[in-house]
Amino acid sequence: MGAWRHFPIFMITLPLLGAVLLPFLGYARERWVPYAALLPLGTSTLLGLLLMGRIPADGFLSYHLGGWEPPFGIEIRLDYVGLFLMLVVCGITFLALVYSRRYIGKEVSGGQRTAYYVLYLLLSGAMLGFVATGDIFNLFVFMEILALSSYALVAITGNRNPVRAAFKYILMGAPSSIMVLLAVGFLYSATGTLNMADLARRIAESGYTEVLIVSYILLVVGFGVKAALFPLHMWLPDAHSIAPSPISALLSGLLVEVCAFALVRITFSVFTLRSSDLVMGTADAVGVAAVAAVLYGGIMAILQKDLKMMIAYSTVSHVGYIFLGITAFTAEGLTGAMYHMLDHGLAKACLFLCAGNFIYLKGYRRIEDLKGAWSQMPWTCFAFALASLSVIGIPPTAGFISKWYLILGNVKGGKWLYAVVLLAGSILAAVYCLRVIYYMFFQAGKEGAWEESWRDAPPAMLAPVWTLSLATLFFGIFSSLLIPSLLKAAAYLL
Amino acid sequence: MKKVVALLFIVALAVLLLYVVANMPPMGDPENPTATHVISRYLERAEEETHTENVVTGVILNYRGYDTMGEVTVIFCALAGVLAVLGRERRGVIHAFVDRSEVPSSVIVKTMVRFVVPFIILFSVYTILHGETSPGGGFQGGAIIGGSMIIFTTIFGLYESSRRIPLKVRASLEGAAVMGFFLVGALGLLGGGNFLTYAWPRVARSLQPSLVVWLTVLVEVGVGLGGAMVLISILFAMIREEEEIAPAP
Repeated sequence: MGAWRHFPIFMITLPLLGAVLLPFLGYARERWVPYAALLPLGTSTLLGLLLMGRIPADGFLSYHLGGWEPPFGIEIRLDYVGLFLMLVVCGITFLALVYSRRYIGKEVSGGQRTAYYVLYLLLSGAMLGFVATGDIFNLFVFMEILALSSYALVAITGNRNPVRAAFKYILMGAPSSIMVLLAVGFLYSATGTLNMADLARRIAESGYTEVLIVSYILLVVGFGVKAALFPLHMWLPDAHSIAPSPISALLSGLLVEVCAFALVRITFSVFTLRSSDLVMGTADAVGVAAVAAVLYGGIMAILQKDLKMMIAYSTVSHVGYIFLGITAFTAEGLTGAMYHMLDHGLAKACLFLCAGNFIYLKGYRRIEDLKGAWSQMPWTCFAFALASLSVIGIPPTAGFISKWYLILGNVKGGKWLYAVVLLAGSILAAVYCLRVIYYMFFQAGKEGAWEESWRDAPPAMLAPVWTLSLATLFFGIFSSLLIPSLLKAAAYLL
Repeated sequence: MKKVVALLFIVALAVLLLYVVANMPPMGDPENPTATHVISRYLERAEEETHTENVVTGVILNYRGYDTMGEVTVIFCALAGVLAVLGRERRGVIHAFVDRSEVPSSVIVKTMVRFVVPFIILFSVYTILHGETSPGGGFQGGAIIGGSMIIFTTIFGLYESSRRIPLKVRASLEGAAVMGFFLVGALGLLGGGNFLTYAWPRVARSLQPSLVVWLTVLVEVGVGLGGAMVLISILFAMIREEEEIAPAP
């Protein structure tokens, strides 16, 4: 037991502490704020990488806050899957933050810039704490931080449309938070504990079945809203398309997945499968919703005229993928879902940042405007194309690997229909992605839309975009780095 | 149509919640799961373990201090959100308070507020510092300070109240709650324990009670000051400056 035991708590608290300290720098030297904000996130990433070898695939690191053993104190319970997701969060938030400096410098007016970075760090730290925690009330607390900061970040430009989108988001988000809080209260009343592992034990022997059933339903609906599962997704397209692009990348690429992961936790670690038919019954309903999400999101994405709107609807569709992986209840399906969180996060973040490049340089939001974009912004266009391949699921990108395991998991679980839906979703993805690529590369632009001079986005914006798109390729080719451990960890979770 | 769907949804939710309440463990039954599991340790041993006579304070600051750290971060986050959308109040352009209410506040009200506010603040200091022995604590005390400033601002206006608590003071204390928690947490690590350990294993046993009490008070003061400043800053940011600018003479 060395110092590395303490790494997870530092990964969580450093961004939060950074958020509190940034305003001081903001008053003294505002120009340095974007660089200083990188520091806590970079440290968190580093600590996460150092932890990577320490946590076995079939075990977990338990850290007792304040030295109180659970269930009396709060426990951080970090298993392999959790650490994996924490690293995804760290990596993508870091890259989007690098991207933010130029983009936010243009989009957000002077006084609000520091607030942007403060909220950004709060959101990142909250996502990390949310993934790592082993206590159900603590899960709620971090959900509150990440919800609050994301509402504010959507509205940060203070214009009419962003504020309206953020308000819509709050109208959906606040009731969902209340549902989760109620469910936590009900669970406490039926079991007398808040620690997840202890809850699992006590739920199995609790006599208050009705209370447990309703709290599970409330949790699924509550987190379902935050994860934008199909009938509860109404807030997502507006919020994700209107927010500043780095924030769209975060919300679409990470936030929905982190919330989906909370449901994985609730389903597999709290309401263990053995405990009742309840989980199975709910899972059937969630499965149907996920199928609807895949098809609806895909079709709506095809119909969109606005590029960011299209990417947002694509997220609705991909949330369906993740849930189909979870409801398969096989190690392969869960591995697929986890790997999909990685590659969807990378690819979606990349797509949103590319869309941000077009907005930053040209102010172009509509897909039609991108005709002939290749001639002037080749780097952005190539990165967009590469990330699109991952969204569609074409080998050798990471999207192919995750879809392969998702389909494999569903077939192994005897859910042939779902496997077919997954394939259909890929075809829909191909339609909406290839349309944009076709416009970019094979159509002539309108007269005067692109000047002759060759001017792509600045390197500070291209570097994160290319890192993300190359990462989708890397994790596609070297999937063997992670997949065996993930399979083992998934089997352990089940 | 929309209204019907909304109504159906609300009715369904209400039925669901009433169904739970009907099936919940009976209130106040000593055999309840809530009364028999973790709570018994809190009630029996909180005083010797957390050195706070008020068990509630012991639970929220010590046993479950990490949650409270999250909660104060939520409060800080709310402020950051408000400032991100509305921006800080701009005091430079304010000349004088114009009372535009239909019935302007009389001399009696003004005198009373001037007289009462210091006592309210004094009471909040008592609430904060006595948090570990009696009901109260940082959150309550901070809210009381915030409330006193709300009273003061409604009567005397933004200019007068922001002169008494200048931006510099507020800005440097807004994060006090989170920083207090982080400080105590990090000190716990240096003391040889885990994050947020109050009773440092490296310190002699006889010194631990007073150490824990001091750290608890430190956190309470941080939460109180931070909470108060956040409330006041949110209030100031929400007052629209137009109402405050004096008409041209």
